Amino acid sequence: MTTWLSNTVVDHLRVVATWPELPGDRYVIERPIGRGGMGTVYVARDTLLERDVAIKVSNAPVAGSGLDERLRQEAQVLARLEHPGIVPVHDAGQLADGRMFYVMKLVHGETLSAHTKRLLGEAAILGVFERVTETIAFAHEAGVIHRDLKPSNVMVGRFGEVLVLDWGVAKAIEEEAAASATRVGTPGFMPPEQARGEATSTSDVFALGALLFWMLTDAMPPPARDDALRVLNAAARPPRRLAAIVLKCLASEPSDRYSNAAALAADLARYRAGQPVAAHRETTLERIGLWFIKYRTFILLVAAYLVMRAMFAFVR
Amino acid sequence: MSTFAYACRVIPFPATRRSVLERIQSDDREVRRAAFGDLAEGYWRPSYHYLRLHWRLPAASAEDMVQAFFTAAFEKQYVERYDPAKARFRTFLRTCLDRFVQNYQKAERAEKRGGGQVHLPLDFPGAERELAAIAVQDRHDLDRFFHDETVRDLFARTIDAMRRAYDAEGKLIVFEVFERHDLRPSPDLTYATLAREFDLTTAQVTNYLHAARRRFREQALVNLRALVGTDEEFRDEARELFGLEIS
Repeated sequence: MTTWLSNTVVDHLRVVATWPELPGDRYVIERPIGRGGMGTVYVARDTLLERDVAIKVSNAPVAGSGLDERLRQEAQVLARLEHPGIVPVHDAGQLADGRMFYVMKLVHGETLSAHTKRLLGEAAILGVFERVTETIAFAHEAGVIHRDLKPSNVMVGRFGEVLVLDWGVAKAIEEEAAASATRVGTPGFMPPEQARGEATSTSDVFALGALLFWMLTDAMPPPARDDALRVLNAAARPPRRLAAIVLKCLASEPSDRYSNAAALAADLARYRAGQPVAAHRETTLERIGLWFIKYRTFILLVAAYLVMRAMFAFVR
Repeated sequence: MSTFAYACRVIPFPATRRSVLERIQSDDREVRRAAFGDLAEGYWRPSYHYLRLHWRLPAASAEDMVQAFFTAAFEKQYVERYDPAKARFRTFLRTCLDRFVQNYQKAERAEKRGGGQVHLPLDFPGAERELAAIAVQDRHDLDRFFHDETVRDLFARTIDAMRRAYDAEGKLIVFEVFERHDLRPSPDLTYATLAREFDLTTAQVTNYLHAARRRFREQALVNLRALVGTDEEFRDEARELFGLEIS
């Protein structure tokens, strides 16, 4: 009699049939948690240190696919970038069948796609976004561009930590010339020049702008500046200075954007401190408004003092 | 002997496992007969379930129809007409079955059923028992239903072959660990529990599971190769089934 298999067992077999056979007995695969174009991520138990870890394994073991090399490169980039916003790598190696894998910290949390729905208000959104910008600024400083920033590549952990994931297509800035003609990234978050295979650090700035646009509006930025402004104003009604920061990031000409993530982070910090921003030339009225906001305590005290003096003079 | 590369290793591929189309077009009648044997083995059960659930044929009629269809497919050379550019082999075979049933019913030749036909030794009572377990929602998309039933049967035959092979090799314990962990999956079952149950170490459990899963994957691919029309279709099916790229 032939064995009968339920749908659950058939689905289970399809998954476990390609589970990686890790060398040694230190790591024990428990379940897959995500699959991308380059690799599959599994939750595994590190039996030596008795903790759960995440293991990313290259999908296609076929020689010449380039995926193993990309996974190796991702592990090296992660190992090079020690930052609270980047998942640390613990170990790396090769499976018996030749595929690359690396072991990293298991982050408990959710991607920005899910998390943003619970972020209420501009301050909360900018709080998370600033952490992403700081991480990318750190990478730029270390000579690395991410090239595939998008909501699903940002994770918010259960302690509020913000992590930038998936550095599989990241490139060293000095390799930019060599990277030309390689078209990587995600439509909507990818600037025009990256679609032509010419990514630079300003391409990450474009993606950051698209990410902030998405966080504020829950929509992808339209290609035309006027359309983007219209959607932004209709959905979020941000102050003009914040809208200007987003639009400066999204400029189609790389030279019109911030030169790197650090410049964007600095302008964003100025915005949050109520100072003039590089992205927007204030009118006289706006400058007075900003000046008032900045010195409002002093102005109110002086005003109160003057009112009291006037009242005393009147009573006498 | 043809070969295919999987997981950076080149796995020897038996000559008898050339594509269905190649073998059925062979001049050697025995090769053709063997190809039809594989075809019938791989598709009779999904065909039976399909006839019972989609065509709503009574059990006896469905049994006769399956026998008649595969006999006619061999004698009247249906499969030789398959054009890989038009559809996958599985879809082509299902369409042939649909037409066969329509013609059969139109001609009202039911009284001739079985007369002079060669009967294949098929386990229809077993297939009938399985009907109750097929979820109702699986029955709406016909192509999907036929595909799912083909995969179910492919896996089931692969597992039966594994059990026999491990038994013959005196390594039934490997199969039993695999059976306990992967054929009766439970979220509460840990490797440590399994090790205690079978009086093994945890490392042995994971090694046995790796070995059995590798064998399952390789045997399933060999069986799959015998059910598809072309190499390209084999690559597509392997990608859909396991997410594997076959070079």
